[in-house]
Amino acid sequence: MRPRSILLLGAGFTIWASAFVALYAMLSVGCRFGWHEVALEGAGGLSLQRLQLVAIFLVHLAAGVALVALLRRWKDRGFLYPLAYVAAIAALSASVFSFGAVFFLSTCA
Amino acid sequence: MAGCLVLSACSGPLSVLEPESASARNATTLWWVMAYAGTGIFMATASVLVLAVVRPSWLRAFGEARLILWGGLVIPLVLLAGLVAAAFALGERGIAAAREPAALRIEAVARQWIWQFRYPGGHVTTNLLHLPAGRDVDIVLTSEDVIHSFWVPRLAGKLDAIPGHTNILRLHADRAGKYGGVCTEYCGIGHAPMRFDVEVHEEEAFRRILASEAATAGEGGE
Repeated sequence: MRPRSILLLGAGFTIWASAFVALYAMLSVGCRFGWHEVALEGAGGLSLQRLQLVAIFLVHLAAGVALVALLRRWKDRGFLYPLAYVAAIAALSASVFSFGAVFFLSTCA
Repeated sequence: MAGCLVLSACSGPLSVLEPESASARNATTLWWVMAYAGTGIFMATASVLVLAVVRPSWLRAFGEARLILWGGLVIPLVLLAGLVAAAFALGERGIAAAREPAALRIEAVARQWIWQFRYPGGHVTTNLLHLPAGRDVDIVLTSEDVIHSFWVPRLAGKLDAIPGHTNILRLHADRAGKYGGVCTEYCGIGHAPMRFDVEVHEEEAFRRILASEAATAGEGGE
């Protein structure tokens, strides 16, 4: 487990970075294909664009929560594990702070 | 004094600090908010650093844990939340303003290393964009070769001109005047001088100029 602990330090923010790239890319793709104008009846009139962005956000949020839960169990193992745990919490908070706006901000001009 | 010297370079036809439209004013407001907040953060951090050298006892009295909690978490969070809220609000305003298509559309075609502007009626100007004052204009941007970027700092933000794709940039100049535009995406050896002039006219003068351009184009067989 030793070598892995160093990688775990960056695990939380790797999930954050993945969410950033995925949201940024899919936002542009959705606008190009006009997904913001596709209202979904089954989802209470939510646009396809909003739905896919929220889905990307929630998937990464779930991954972040899972990582925090995992590292919480391991945090007594040694020096790097508690640090990785705190870093994962910081990354999860940062994800909510930076990407939570997918629920309400305009997506396309 | 030093600040005045530095800022004296921030004027002229390409100055983002002299906005002439609502959207450019938004960007300038955001710029000032960021500049003031950034300066404040820098001064605060530098003061703590100086204190650590000249009056370490003050910091010790404040307490290590409290210093980390306030300096490392609470204050940055409050400042960043404020800046993010400002950016969100100004961004939303910008998007909402451009939602309805404008009555006047001018096509801008970029190619290495010139800008061509085609007005309703078909006449074309090169490296010179005529605009009417006080009304919305959509610049329909595209490129014939590589990616360029259209930027008139005093009127709006920048937008890429991409081959095979059109992007639309909303401009609304408040008053007549002469401004400058530049290409802001590196596009080859002629990128730096790939500039254009923007002349904003009163409505009547704008129509007159377009009519005379059309006449010249007809005679010259452009």
